[in-house]
Amino acid sequence: MPVFDNERAPLPHILIISGGKESPGEESHVSGLLECLPEHIPCMVQIREKHLMAGSLYNLASSAAKKPRPEGRLLLVNERADIAYAAGLDGVHLPEHACSPSILKAAGFPMICGCSVHSIESARLAEDSGADYLLFGPVFDTPSKRIFGKPQGLEKLETLCRSTTLPVFAVGGITPSNGLFCKENGAWGCAGISLFLDRTSLAETLERLNSIW
Amino acid sequence: MVTKLPRIPFLCVITDESISAVSLAEEALRGGAAMIQLRHKTASGMELFAWAQEIRKLCRKYGALFFVNDRLDIAMACGADGVHLGQEDIPARAARKIAGGKLLIGISATSVDEALKAQEEGADYIGLGHIFPTMSKEKHHPPLGVEALAAAASLLSVPIVAIGGITLENAPVLVAAGATGIAVISAVSRAPSPHEAARDLAKAINPDS
Repeated sequence: MPVFDNERAPLPHILIISGGKESPGEESHVSGLLECLPEHIPCMVQIREKHLMAGSLYNLASSAAKKPRPEGRLLLVNERADIAYAAGLDGVHLPEHACSPSILKAAGFPMICGCSVHSIESARLAEDSGADYLLFGPVFDTPSKRIFGKPQGLEKLETLCRSTTLPVFAVGGITPSNGLFCKENGAWGCAGISLFLDRTSLAETLERLNSIW
Repeated sequence: MVTKLPRIPFLCVITDESISAVSLAEEALRGGAAMIQLRHKTASGMELFAWAQEIRKLCRKYGALFFVNDRLDIAMACGADGVHLGQEDIPARAARKIAGGKLLIGISATSVDEALKAQEEGADYIGLGHIFPTMSKEKHHPPLGVEALAAAASLLSVPIVAIGGITLENAPVLVAAGATGIAVISAVSRAPSPHEAARDLAKAINPDS
């Protein structure tokens, strides 16, 4: 697997994060999502099901990897580079306190490594340690992140994007209406969980975000 | 580099989330443990990697083997000797595919059938248990008992590491029944002196250690 190169093959601008509701033995939300994504819109799908045991996560990742992957679609799993690699996904998304990308790449996992960051300092650390993209947020108010305090806001997004050469995905309270502000403030793309949960509006949401970037 | 599993009876100490993994590992190694398994389900990847590096160094110093539980990524990243996988972790075949010959793979089995299947899938050893009643983890089945251990030992060609409810008194019985190793958590971690508990257990199964 080649090490990722954003200049040669740029990342998509849309990052869909799974809803954390998978339960082994039941119909998979991730598989359902992959089946209804429009083929012509490049996007990354991050399997983030933190409650699953590694075996179930591996099974989920393996079945996702077997779905058709149109050009421009990338599949990632949260945290576990071993599972991403064994299942044949494109990369791993690392929480802020995960093992660093450079260590994982050197250990034999030459894949896309994205990093969640919540400050300029941690963005710098992630870039220095070989991250391929950053996920920054929450940019806007979002119920699931209220316990962590106020949202970061567009100004901090702008400062963070200027501080790094890496593509930055804005996350937290993103909608097709405010997505443009993220782009104007330097974001490479946007990410969300609940933003993509409603299957009836998914295609329209993706079209609108895709037209922004 | 992969070291082989000891052929003589050996003690494996598994870390306990209630105390520092690194200092427990050092005490266990000083006491004569020949294998340390880092097992921590709630630590961040960054913490786990940092502890793994420390414990790997300690294991090298004491000539012991170092295994990481569940996290094949961390095991590969820190240069561990092996990874230990439970029945609900990454399947052994998938683990072998990415680890190749670089890591030993241990697999937990809770029955003779699971042990045979794990051997077939390429396990380098089988962690069989729980043999005796134990409080360490919530169990969904009764203890296997020494007879099941003996039956597994007669059927398997890979070494068996017995686990679950092991004490100074019952440890020699396990070796006599065919276990190559014994694995403990609380018998060492919750002892007044983990170092002495490890030393006594190591001696109980191998007077020369």
